[in-house]
Amino acid sequence: MTPKPELTRVHLLLFFFVLAAGIAVGLSLFSSASTFLTLIRTATSGLFLPLLLSLIASFLLGPIVSFIERENIGRTLSIFLVYLLVAMLLLLAAGWLSPHWHEMWNSLRTDLPRYTAKFITLLRDAQDNLQSRFPYIESYDLTGRARTLAEQFVAQILVGTPKSALRIGSLLILVPLFTFFFLRDGNLILRTCVSLTPNRYFEMVHDLSSVVSRQMAEFIRGRLFEAFIVGLVVTIGLSFTDIRYTPILGIFAGVTNLIPYIGPLIGMVPGILIALVDLGMGGQFWWIVIVYFLIAQVIVDNFILIPILISRYSNLHPLWVLLAIIMGGKLYGVLGMIIGVPVASIIKIALLEIRHYRNTFALPDTVQDLDRPA
Amino acid sequence: MNPFWSNIFHKKSEADSLISFLRSLAIFADLGRREMNFIASLVHARRYAPAETVFETGDPGTGMYAIRSGRVAIFIRHPDGHKEQLAVLGPGDFFGEATLLAPARRTASARTLEDTELVGLFRADLLEATKKHPNVTNAILISLARILSERMQAAEMEIRQLRAALRLSPPPAGSEEGNGLP
Repeated sequence: MTPKPELTRVHLLLFFFVLAAGIAVGLSLFSSASTFLTLIRTATSGLFLPLLLSLIASFLLGPIVSFIERENIGRTLSIFLVYLLVAMLLLLAAGWLSPHWHEMWNSLRTDLPRYTAKFITLLRDAQDNLQSRFPYIESYDLTGRARTLAEQFVAQILVGTPKSALRIGSLLILVPLFTFFFLRDGNLILRTCVSLTPNRYFEMVHDLSSVVSRQMAEFIRGRLFEAFIVGLVVTIGLSFTDIRYTPILGIFAGVTNLIPYIGPLIGMVPGILIALVDLGMGGQFWWIVIVYFLIAQVIVDNFILIPILISRYSNLHPLWVLLAIIMGGKLYGVLGMIIGVPVASIIKIALLEIRHYRNTFALPDTVQDLDRPA
Repeated sequence: MNPFWSNIFHKKSEADSLISFLRSLAIFADLGRREMNFIASLVHARRYAPAETVFETGDPGTGMYAIRSGRVAIFIRHPDGHKEQLAVLGPGDFFGEATLLAPARRTASARTLEDTELVGLFRADLLEATKKHPNVTNAILISLARILSERMQAAEMEIRQLRAALRLSPPPAGSEEGNGLP
């Protein structure tokens, strides 16, 4: 105990230096790591969307390529054949749409402000109605806010579409390229990743990865097919009426159908709004409402498609769906909202598979633990 | 392993020797050159250090291993801790093929005795391949079924012989180890 007072000063100094050095090292490490992370982030910033789209495309085209490959045609050649097929389909679709497209775009440009104006008057009527019934509600400038929001939205669509055409152009080059390599070497990439695991866990990881990727592919294919069918049903249903922009509304309904619970509601807003403005509250309007709600959502989607295509397995709790949509929206905007739920479902599928595996089989390390006490 | 723009005249000796090794296995004996190429892309070649565990009793079994070089001991761990060695396998032998078709736990443990190269063929790959090249997987499955049924017949013969031996032996053996037999 005697050296204690003697040592304190030196030790304190030493301790101080060590602490200072530790903090300095920590800070420099942190800053270098964060600059490194920002470097990585800037380097990969534009890649997320094309990579994701090409992954989805390769999941979609994979079965077709395998089907062609069965006829003893090489994989590369079969991919090229599938590409040729897809290109022909796209050309046909473009040829069918292009005469209407320009005209439709121009009329939409004049019509959009009209629809939003109508929407705002509807909103104002509703508010007036509400206030006349409940006069004690403080007058909140709902219409003003809605108007600025709507104007911003319209301006964004009108200005942003040509601008985003540039991005779409780069996607048109990148996505087919990435898809080609995913289709050709996807298995090899997965194999290489799996082969990095240690020998002891290799077999298990290999089996799990194949199960999870199969489930994932089935899920993505199911969801996209479901969206396609719903879009088609809406398009056909709307084409019986005099409503304009039927193809656009169908596509919109299909795309938003990828978001569960909320998506279909968003998808039917423009259709019902246009019907209300152009057609009034007649029989056609109610037919459109029935098409959206009863035929597309309840009968086709809930009674026919979901039970066939999507297993209950990948169903998320509505709370998770909301969280996924909000977080996806924060990260990547509207696209993130569409992607968020499928990504969350894929994570759920992976976790469930791993748990199922753990329950059916004892994992290697637990087996050894069981051995020891015996 | 074979990039799009790789030199087409440069044959990979590694891949070639893998194919010639696979050809020497009984399971793939009936397959042609083209099919062997496909199988070579299906299997996983892995290196093991001496005394490394390949699998333990109770592990989820998903496929078979063939020994390319080195030796592997197959053994059972008894509850009291001592190991009973069932076999020592060398190059060209394969083990674990019973779980290639049906998911089951491993019924024995496998451990390498020296530096060993194993070639694994797993159920997931086989099922995946069934979609693309049904004829190749057909050939594999038929020879696998042949091997399994041969083994089953051999086991049945052995059981029959053991039963016969048991039926004959109790009177003389009963005095020595009668308490051991139920």
